[in-house]
Amino acid sequence: MEQKILIVDDEPHIRMLIEQTLEELEDDGVEFLTAENGEIALQIIQKEKPQLVFLDVMMPKMNGMEVCRKVKKELQLTDVFIVLLTAKGQELDRQKGNEVGADIYMTKPFDPEAILSKAKQVLGLQ
Amino acid sequence: MARVTLKNILSKKSNVSPLVLSFIEQMNAHISVEDENGILLCGNTDILAANKHPININDETIGWVKGDEKSIHVAYLLTLLAQREFERKTLGSEVLVLYQEVNMVFDFSDKLAQAIGPVAISQLAVDEAMRLIHSDSGLVVLWDEASMQLQIPATAGAPLFDQEKITSHADLLLRIGLSGQSEIMSDLSSLRDEGIIGPDVHSLIYSALKVKHRIMGAIILAGNKQMQYAASDLKFLTTLALQSSSAIESALLHEKNLKEAREREEAMRRVYEITAKFVPYEFIGSLGHNIITDVKLGDQVEKVVTVLFTDIRDYTSISEQMTPEENFRFVNAYNERMGPIIRKYDGFINQYLGDAIMALFPESAESTLSAAIEMQQNIHEFNISRKVKQLPPIKMGIGMHTGPLIMGITGDKDRLDATTISDAVNTASRIESLTKYYKVRILLSEITLQQIQHPEIFHLRYLGKVQVKGKQSSIGIHECFSSDSEDQIIKKEKTLPAFNEGMYHYLNKSFQNAVKAFEAITAINPADLTTQFFLDNSRHFLKNGTPDNWSGVVEMANK
Repeated sequence: MEQKILIVDDEPHIRMLIEQTLEELEDDGVEFLTAENGEIALQIIQKEKPQLVFLDVMMPKMNGMEVCRKVKKELQLTDVFIVLLTAKGQELDRQKGNEVGADIYMTKPFDPEAILSKAKQVLGLQ
Repeated sequence: MARVTLKNILSKKSNVSPLVLSFIEQMNAHISVEDENGILLCGNTDILAANKHPININDETIGWVKGDEKSIHVAYLLTLLAQREFERKTLGSEVLVLYQEVNMVFDFSDKLAQAIGPVAISQLAVDEAMRLIHSDSGLVVLWDEASMQLQIPATAGAPLFDQEKITSHADLLLRIGLSGQSEIMSDLSSLRDEGIIGPDVHSLIYSALKVKHRIMGAIILAGNKQMQYAASDLKFLTTLALQSSSAIESALLHEKNLKEAREREEAMRRVYEITAKFVPYEFIGSLGHNIITDVKLGDQVEKVVTVLFTDIRDYTSISEQMTPEENFRFVNAYNERMGPIIRKYDGFINQYLGDAIMALFPESAESTLSAAIEMQQNIHEFNISRKVKQLPPIKMGIGMHTGPLIMGITGDKDRLDATTISDAVNTASRIESLTKYYKVRILLSEITLQQIQHPEIFHLRYLGKVQVKGKQSSIGIHECFSSDSEDQIIKKEKTLPAFNEGMYHYLNKSFQNAVKAFEAITAINPADLTTQFFLDNSRHFLKNGTPDNWSGVVEMANK
């Protein structure tokens, strides 16, 4: 089955940066999908069923927490591994992240190496 | 950065792939596209390869277009698309590098925030710099303003300087440490020749640690191989130095503040220790304060306490035989024996008055009496040691009374004094002076006796009533003979019924009966001087009669 990673952030440069960070996974046939807000993200998740989602918390329309809750709790898509991205200094979100069912939680500015190794681990590409 | 490949451009996932295929079809071109290894990516193998055009990015061939004369147009389009992809990736990777730097700076700030003290921060700075900018050795130099010397709080990797040479060639460190600049030093041959730096050091980079215009020192890195530091390294080191500077500055300030606070605290503690010897902590505590410096004029507290007075009998005649220095030593020896006993029974010394002590017992009258007994026993031991030195024994009277007392701070704003204002103090002092009159060691008022929960554990005798001059009411007083010798205690207890009978007759002016009772006691215990005193009085009144207003109440003289 083709592996897919969805990158959700309202800031274009963050989307580009994450994609760039994960670029080498393209050689393993991984497909990248992007979304600029929570609503689009939710549609893509339902349609494409990505294995891994990098999900920004602070977004217009539907925030990352809500997307995560819908995916994990309402749609019961427990196979989708969700990494919540939150700004440094907002670590209190961790508690809430656990409540909405996020698998892990990373802070921005993110460590590119940490993001890459996490993606490899989740997709079983190590 | 991942390579740009034709395979990716022409893959069905690529958004430009349909455009390329449609372009080839529209042109009706008979071509094939191969990658640099000759693997077919699109088109057919059986076409006539009359033309062969390379697709190059930066002089590197990533594939070929073969086929008819239209293949040149396809090659041109693919080159353009590959170039665009290459630029996109280059830009992306550059942004990523910048982002990684941002992340490192963030990380460094995080670690800085957790490091405590200038040494730890310096170490962190040099360790991080070594990690991020490939180097073989590194150190931090700081100018210590207090000692006016350069210090090296942190080093990492191989030794950068020859330890012995650097002290004799401090000018290099001084030049770097106090320059306030950031620089890459590429020509190190003279330093190597002089032996100041190791023979392997080939490149050196440093950045100033400074806050505003104040130069604090520098962070220095060095590389051993034939490597050269780049401008980007200098930029990075400067960023680290800038962040470290303010952290070191605040750590130094904090250390300075801490040191000053400790010194102040130490000074306060010494003041407190000294003052606690003059003014008892219990006194300050009962004013509701923790330390002497909190005490202010007008502070006061009212409390029922037992006041205890001691006095050395005939001290004047004892002291006449001593030099002033001997006098002083004697009083100190005496006070050093009494003080601990008073404190042991939760009392505190309010005043030393030469050979007299005034102590307050806020807790219980029982402990006051226990203290008095132990004090008398101690004097007995004191006399044994005095006897060895062929010194005369001393006698001490103790009087006590219980009543409300105001302790407070009086004086003016420049000279404060701890004062007690109480009737109980006067009364206790006068009761003490009666010990001479009744020839007893310890006297307590009936008010004090009433406060004692278990009077049966003490040996007591009622001695009638006394009156403070100028006051209407009189109070009963009691002798405590618990500190007498065992023999005396047994005899006084045995004769206690007779003594009480004698006192009863004495106070009722029945002196004949009183004389009879007291004589019976002195026959058994001639050493009972108190009984002797009442016997003498009874005989006197029997012979001479009593004054008209005599009621048995003894008037206490003013002190």
